[in-house]
Amino acid sequence: MEKERISSGRRPGNPLRRRVWKDMIRDWKRYLMICIMLVVTIGFVSGMYVTNNSMLHSLDSSIKALRRENGHFRLSEKADEDTVKAIETGVTADVPEVFRERAYNEAEEEVRKAVDEAVEENVRTQVEEAIRTQTEAAVDEQLQQAEKAGMKATEAERTEMIAAAFDTAMKENYDKAVSDALDEAMKSEDYVKAFDDAMKEAKKEIDKEIDEKYTELSDRYGLDEKFDPVPVTVYEDFYKDTDEILPADSDYSGRIRIYSERADIDLFDILKGRAPQNSSEIIIDRMHADNAKISIGDTIKAGNAEFEVVGVAFFADYSALYESNTDTMFDALTFDVGMTTEEGFDRIDANTSYNYAFTYNSPPADKYEEKEMSEHFLKSLITQTAVSDTEDLEIKDYVPAYANQALTFAENDIGKDKAMAGVLLYILTAVLAFIFAVNISSTLEKESAVIGTLRASGYTRGEMLRYYMSAPLLLVVIASVIGNILGYTVFRNIVADMYYNTYSLPKYVPLWTPEAFIRTTVIPFVLMLVINFAVITKTLKLSPLKFLRHDLKKSRRKKAVRLPKWGFFARFRTRVFLQNIPNYIMLFVGVTFVMLLISMAVGLPETLSYYQSSMKDMMFAEDQVILSTTEDEDGNTITTPDENAERFSITSLERKSDMYNEDVSVYGIVSGSRYVKLGSCEEGSVYVSKAYADKYGIRKGDTITLSEKYEHKDYTWKVQDIYDYSGSVSVFMGIAQFNEVFDRDADDFSGYMSDTMITDIDKEYIAKEITSQDMTKVADQLDHSMGAYMTYFQYVCFIVAAILLFLLTKIIIEKNERSISMAKILGYENGEIASIYLFPTALVVFFSEFLAMYLGYKIMAGFWKLIMMQMSGWFGFVLPASGFVKEFLLVFAAYAVITVLDFRRIRRIPKVLALKNVE
Amino acid sequence: MSNEEKMFLSVSGLKKSFGSGETRQEVLRGLDFTVAKGEFCVLLGPSGSGKSTLLNILGGIDSADEGEIVINGDKLAEMNEKSLTRYRRKHLGYVFQMYNLIPNLNVKENIETGAYLSDNPLDIDELLKILGLYEHRHKLPNQLSGGQQQRVSIGRAIVKNPDILLCDEPTGALDYKTSKEILRLIEEVNQKYGNTIIMVTHNEAIKQMADHIIKLRDGMIRHDIINTEKLSAAEIEW
Repeated sequence: MEKERISSGRRPGNPLRRRVWKDMIRDWKRYLMICIMLVVTIGFVSGMYVTNNSMLHSLDSSIKALRRENGHFRLSEKADEDTVKAIETGVTADVPEVFRERAYNEAEEEVRKAVDEAVEENVRTQVEEAIRTQTEAAVDEQLQQAEKAGMKATEAERTEMIAAAFDTAMKENYDKAVSDALDEAMKSEDYVKAFDDAMKEAKKEIDKEIDEKYTELSDRYGLDEKFDPVPVTVYEDFYKDTDEILPADSDYSGRIRIYSERADIDLFDILKGRAPQNSSEIIIDRMHADNAKISIGDTIKAGNAEFEVVGVAFFADYSALYESNTDTMFDALTFDVGMTTEEGFDRIDANTSYNYAFTYNSPPADKYEEKEMSEHFLKSLITQTAVSDTEDLEIKDYVPAYANQALTFAENDIGKDKAMAGVLLYILTAVLAFIFAVNISSTLEKESAVIGTLRASGYTRGEMLRYYMSAPLLLVVIASVIGNILGYTVFRNIVADMYYNTYSLPKYVPLWTPEAFIRTTVIPFVLMLVINFAVITKTLKLSPLKFLRHDLKKSRRKKAVRLPKWGFFARFRTRVFLQNIPNYIMLFVGVTFVMLLISMAVGLPETLSYYQSSMKDMMFAEDQVILSTTEDEDGNTITTPDENAERFSITSLERKSDMYNEDVSVYGIVSGSRYVKLGSCEEGSVYVSKAYADKYGIRKGDTITLSEKYEHKDYTWKVQDIYDYSGSVSVFMGIAQFNEVFDRDADDFSGYMSDTMITDIDKEYIAKEITSQDMTKVADQLDHSMGAYMTYFQYVCFIVAAILLFLLTKIIIEKNERSISMAKILGYENGEIASIYLFPTALVVFFSEFLAMYLGYKIMAGFWKLIMMQMSGWFGFVLPASGFVKEFLLVFAAYAVITVLDFRRIRRIPKVLALKNVE
Repeated sequence: MSNEEKMFLSVSGLKKSFGSGETRQEVLRGLDFTVAKGEFCVLLGPSGSGKSTLLNILGGIDSADEGEIVINGDKLAEMNEKSLTRYRRKHLGYVFQMYNLIPNLNVKENIETGAYLSDNPLDIDELLKILGLYEHRHKLPNQLSGGQQQRVSIGRAIVKNPDILLCDEPTGALDYKTSKEILRLIEEVNQKYGNTIIMVTHNEAIKQMADHIIKLRDGMIRHDIINTEKLSAAEIEW
């Protein structure tokens, strides 16, 4: 049979493509919610990448523009010009030779003095003896002549005459005779020989001692290593640390570090106001000014000197306000940095810290070279300081730039935030991708016959796959575009505010950041693609016939699970549960994800507030005063009349590791201390604080090794026990053991600790005072930087929980729509139906919450530990029972809201649905 | 009719069984028949006679255990999954008892899902008129009656102008009047476009409008008849 003449049409575009849009419009609530979540997250992460990159770029630019130091060192006193010049050469001084020469010179003087004294004594004795002999002889001759003349003198008269003659002779001749004799003796061979012999002996002793000492010194500092000199330029960067007093705020108690006018190194960027022009003007750090609410025009007191604040600035060497590099956390709340004129600097009545900044004359190529150069330079610094003509010159501090937290912390933290936000986005995208995958799987079941028909008609598996994956992928693209636009506009400012609220940063200019686009578009797209592909492709591999027969299960359960003889509703609910297990697993994953976020949002403020409130109780003494010297100007030991005060010793060692070198406070405690109650301690054993044990997993009986910071000297101890103190990473031992270990005098000590504030020790003798405020400053700073955001984050978590629960319960209800409709036809009421279909979900949410809370807590605690391992000090992640209750209630409240929506959804399912064809 | 036309579709020694061991059930027990090009062939038989299975194997969505099917010179058994899909895409149209339309595509768009598969589809508007759906072209499937929905599904199958139109109980879910309308439409399509039509039905009356009747029972061909007294769809009654 011939076909009739037929008119051909144009091949249309793929109608399934149009259907993608229709699907999205039909199910707009689901897509909108997912889109909002993605837009907000992508926007935030994109904003974070843009801001971070731009800020890091401006920080990086400021290094050159503001001539940031390559490091600094602090000396015990001002170094003389020659020493500074010697340090600048970067050459290691020949310590033994200089010491030997000095010792020889000293020895020569002493030997000569000793020999001269011995010779003089000898000469004097001999001269005196000679005069006595001569006098006696002269007197005897006189008496013989007198006897011949008949005048015999008695023995007493003779003695008297000799004495008188001796006195006269001594007065007239002794000095000259001694002088002549001495001249004679000094010229004699004996004298030269005696001097040479004595010098030889002395040199021998000196050589022996210097060789011994140098070997020890060389071992300690690793001075034998040969390396090229590291020439540097050294700049005076002196400062004074003193109290900062705000006349406008009497409760405020802070400290300020004031630098004299900077012109060559570590310059500043004035963000508001102007530079100081006279001795009563000052500029201070912008971040601290914000925190302490100091405005331009305000007056502050630095110790006893009043200054008018004329500007707020970013100082090149303080992007994070670390008072000391060993502090666990920077402190922009109570620590300030300022700069005044030279005259202004002189007005401040506080000790000058002789801080010197340096820059390498040949800048290092990379971080590795920088580290190596800094190590070599330190050796040069140590030796040049040792051989300095300035007596007793000591290095008090040495901080190369790469290890300076004030320079690197903000930079590293900004980098870490970026990575963290990225991970958060990927987890959220993965969770959403799984939700899509589950939803698509459910759609595949629902549209099984249509798919079968299309496949039977010739649609390929790839075409079907592309169609079903189009919506989620399209959504990611849309969300990415909107998210990135918001990232560059709205979120960028939010993130910038967040950073300006934490760090002292220079002005930044937003930069086009391709990384933001890749991280927030390409990676989520790929994640969505891979996860959906993995889940959908399995089903789409089935034959068209299986789709036509609604037979999508790879392994069909042969028999229904036998249930106990429960009531009808219980069995019905159990069946619903069994039928929806994959969806409930997804629900569990979703709840766990939300719980992890909530663990952070609830746990972080809880942890901080726990430490803020309990740090005072944790401290073993209210006040710890570390003295700069234990003797006053008159050589008397510095004491305090405070009856509660107790001596203690303290030093700082390092626990070295690849990840982070931890500063460990080593305490020497008096026996029977009322503040630190140690038990008996075996030789070579110490107690470690609970913070130390928790951070590094130390147990009783373990061995720990700590090292001197600037020396190659290690100490290894056995852990006697864990001392219940969480305030810091510390080691405790008896003060006698301490003094012996650290080669100090038996009665040596470092300071006093007391339960009352020690106020009667002159400030000039105090090197450092540790109060509860110092201990909580980490928690205070973290609370200030992140606390407020965490409250917002809790609301965000609530919304995310609600959206995820909405999406997941929607899938479960949609999957059961026909059954629900049929139940309605059979006469079940909406309440009964809801109890059948919602109750299993409620139970799953309820139990998932408990499990997820535990998992969230564990993951967060681990994550927290990871953060703390890269920081000095320790405080563990704390989540009190009230925190868990809060977490539980947040998610359950979200679920309660969704249940109302679900109930409404069930009520709206029409009865006719069950009677319609399956399409 | 040339030999080639006569031998457009040939089936020989076709066997198919389901299950294994004791539960093994032979559904097709060695079928041999041919269908000519443009022929309207009806596969008739009671439930469980194997007619739907045979149709699925002819349509390449199920496979035979034994035997050979040659369509227009191509052996189905030699085709892999990809070739079978291409074969369905280019040569076959499917109409099922359930219409299986895409619920959120309108009438025209549902038909376009078929047209998209062909390089040379029929003119859709013209087809819509033939199907009597032109007025309803913007409606969604749930706004149509069962008969209208089946028309759409027929439209979707024939719009790509397939060589063979496979219909599996196309009137099974329809009332008498609507069934006759659908049969008339299939007849019209056959005459107008010259497609080979293989229709599965258990309705004995329908055989009267076929060129070729194959009766199946228990997986075997009981009768293979060329109908010389063919009636039009309008004339048949049941």
